[in-house]
Amino acid sequence: MTREELLTKLKTIIAPYVQNQEKFKNLNENTDFINDLEINSANLVDVVLDVEDEFDIEIDNDAMEKMLTVKASLEVIENKLALK
Amino acid sequence: MIGNDIVDLQFAKKQSDWRRKGWLQKIFTTIEQEYIVSSKDPNLTVWKLWSMKEAVYKAHQRYLRLSPKFNPKDFECMLGGKVNVGGYRYSTNSEITQQYIYTVVKPSRNGYYSSVCNKDINVYHALERCICQGLKIIAPISIQKDANRIPAIYIDNKESNILVSLTHHGAYSAFMFSIENEISIT
Repeated sequence: MTREELLTKLKTIIAPYVQNQEKFKNLNENTDFINDLEINSANLVDVVLDVEDEFDIEIDNDAMEKMLTVKASLEVIENKLALK
Repeated sequence: MIGNDIVDLQFAKKQSDWRRKGWLQKIFTTIEQEYIVSSKDPNLTVWKLWSMKEAVYKAHQRYLRLSPKFNPKDFECMLGGKVNVGGYRYSTNSEITQQYIYTVVKPSRNGYYSSVCNKDINVYHALERCICQGLKIIAPISIQKDANRIPAIYIDNKESNILVSLTHHGAYSAFMFSIENEISIT
């Protein structure tokens, strides 16, 4: 899977939790889930669970604690996919 | 160190399905999950523990100047309100109403002032007014956030020693502040 494809899938996953649509339109790798997209912190868990389901990977605590930005999340997904 | 967190219970119900498979396990330790399933009101316990973790997260991040992390499981809550994280222990106090759960981390030495506002009230203005009246300050006050998004109070454009913490969720906002010395506000 290319980075582009990963990004598209990630965007679909986070869409339902986004509260700042303006920032979502201009999403890039540096976009921050909480500060930019205003995703509620309790919904970050849903993002993590949705990512696990979508990519059939397991995200442990060490990986989860990094998943606050688009870039960090893509890296976590890539690392976990490479281990499969 | 101070920190606070509010959970709008109606809003939480709409936004989060904590009964979703795997949800509790990602956030809560085995002991906390026990507290939840064995409590009279599991829903209330979920959100109470969550707000304790969030409030202590803010205090702890600020105390150690840590960069942001999503590590709710590292904050181990006890039923009496104590929370342990990385060898540190914090005391919290939670106010539970029909509408919200509001948790504050109590500063160890100093007094503090804390208030919950409706969303129609501008929480920044309420905070500024409260500081001006409580501390009898007439100079202009502003609130600015640092690189880690921790708010600080500026009096006459100079950073003050007033610690402040803000929280928003759904229809509610809240603020708390504390200074070096005991404060009393009428």
